Amino acid sequence: MNTLQVAIFGLMLGGVYALMASGLTLLFGVMRIVNLAHGVFILLGAYFAYFAFERMTIDPFVSLIAVVPLMFLLGMAIYRLLFTRIEGSSRFGEMTVLLTFGMALIVEGLLGYFFTGIFRSTSPSYGTSAFIIGDLFIPKGQLYGSIASFGLLILLWVFLTRTKIGTAIRATMQNRTAPQIVGVNVRWVSTISFGIGVAMAGAAGALMSYLSAFFPARHWQWIALLLSLVVLGGLGSLKGAVVAALALSVLSAFVSDWLGPTWSPMTFYLALFLILLVRPQGLFGKAGAA
Amino acid sequence: MSDSATSSGALPSTARVDRRARVVPVVALLVIAILLPLARPIFSGTYNYALQLLLVTYMWVALASSWNIIGGYVGYISLGNNVFFGIGGYFAGSLLVYYGWSPFLTAPVAGVLGLGLGLLFGLVALRTSGAAFIISTIALLLMTALVFDNWEWVGGANGLSLPLPQFELRWVKVPFYYAMLLTGVGAVWLSWKVAHSRFGLGLRAIAEDEIKAEVAGINTRAYKVMAFALSAIFPAIAGGFWGYSLTYLRGTIFFSIAVAAEMVLMAIIGGRGTVSGPVVGAVLLVAINEFSVARFGSSELNIVVTGLILVAALIFFPTGIVGSLRDRGRLPRFLDWD
Repeated sequence: MNTLQVAIFGLMLGGVYALMASGLTLLFGVMRIVNLAHGVFILLGAYFAYFAFERMTIDPFVSLIAVVPLMFLLGMAIYRLLFTRIEGSSRFGEMTVLLTFGMALIVEGLLGYFFTGIFRSTSPSYGTSAFIIGDLFIPKGQLYGSIASFGLLILLWVFLTRTKIGTAIRATMQNRTAPQIVGVNVRWVSTISFGIGVAMAGAAGALMSYLSAFFPARHWQWIALLLSLVVLGGLGSLKGAVVAALALSVLSAFVSDWLGPTWSPMTFYLALFLILLVRPQGLFGKAGAA
Repeated sequence: MSDSATSSGALPSTARVDRRARVVPVVALLVIAILLPLARPIFSGTYNYALQLLLVTYMWVALASSWNIIGGYVGYISLGNNVFFGIGGYFAGSLLVYYGWSPFLTAPVAGVLGLGLGLLFGLVALRTSGAAFIISTIALLLMTALVFDNWEWVGGANGLSLPLPQFELRWVKVPFYYAMLLTGVGAVWLSWKVAHSRFGLGLRAIAEDEIKAEVAGINTRAYKVMAFALSAIFPAIAGGFWGYSLTYLRGTIFFSIAVAAEMVLMAIIGGRGTVSGPVVGAVLLVAINEFSVARFGSSELNIVVTGLILVAALIFFPTGIVGSLRDRGRLPRFLDWD
């Protein structure tokens, strides 16, 4: 296949991956939470969009209006209910991994029980059509998905840099104790950040609903790719996550072109091990952050 | 875990009573386990079922105890240790299919293979710690699953059928029973041996505070890699026997994240970082799973139960059954092996 064409396919998916990874890296950056349940939050967004589309023919982009605030509230509730209980734990980091691991199993099981393991996807008209420029083929659905993802990422960036809460969140990412001295309520900041992270996952899920078929156990594949991205970019670094998402998506599109789509996830895993060998803190990470 | 570490050793008379109270029940249980297959008439129709249930329990004892070496003593959570379980299964299974070598001979060799692969992976993954390490173990698991799903020589996603064991049907479970019993006992022995060595003390020091451990002159990296490699031995052996007893191999049996979840959960419920905790956890969870499958059927709800137990345990009993009992001074002697 034409090199430019493959790169375009890669870039188009990269946008949504960047959106997925942004929430994950935010949670780690602010609260040192490794959210293994990020994949099931994406799934929840996808199932929401699916049922809105199937039952009420609501377009996945329109359902974002409901998905984002709902997932934001869900995220805040989960933080308050579960994570505040382990805040003081001496092994907080690994507790979060195990806790979110448990959450992922619960949600996966419930989704499987209620909605079965059938492959689902929404099928809006733009999901299967494309813009054709010269001999280049630009799938509409993926283009819209990327635009929406970058739109949400820019909103997130504006929020983090231009608002007072955003500044507090960034301050907490740098240092968890210092902001408290100047009167930042770190618990509240954490709750909001968790809500944002989960909302980003839900939004990405709604977009994923037409980009790829999903089923309850699908989230393990997503989370593994995302975690690889986040480690590659440097845990807790938003910039790193976005760069890694774009770079690896393009790379995996080439791998998929050469060896077949089965092997494209391998790109992410191998990149992860390679970066661990060369630069364990990731591309944009600070040594010792993990 | 640290205060009781001094109790073995110097103290003369009470130590001897202590030791008897610890050793006698364990030896009794072992003798029962060894003699049990002779009691065929007592079980009548449920003989094979009972042996199967027990051999599954021994298998999980081996898996959870092995996980505990890296996840408990060192405190490095691995969500990919079932990779070695699967590789052991495929190693012994494909040698049987292609060369006719019995897994009863090749499974122990799989343990050596597990050790080697564990060293190799540990050397890369243990350059990191905390979150990045956990993530690399998940990547290892999914990567291996992907490879085995697409590797035609071992049957790809369809898996590989193994020749049936040539034993008389009535006794077909017995060799597997003893093989798993040996594997389980071996894994617990290794875990106990590690816990009571200088090496094990080093591992616990790393779990407490890695930087201080390093300052104290412990080669933390080498210790961690070794611990990871040791935790890969018995899962690989168990995998070799398990695949043969199922008579087929398929990636989903071994490389599913649910298998990793069970290993972790058993160690945590029982009490990670203790010698007896994973054993207690394995026995309890096999019983719970058996009950819930019998009661509610095999459905997605079983994963929900696993998840709920994990979350509840982390929030209410983070030190597990053995840890909580010890904190209250209620731990029975025969479970106190730290």
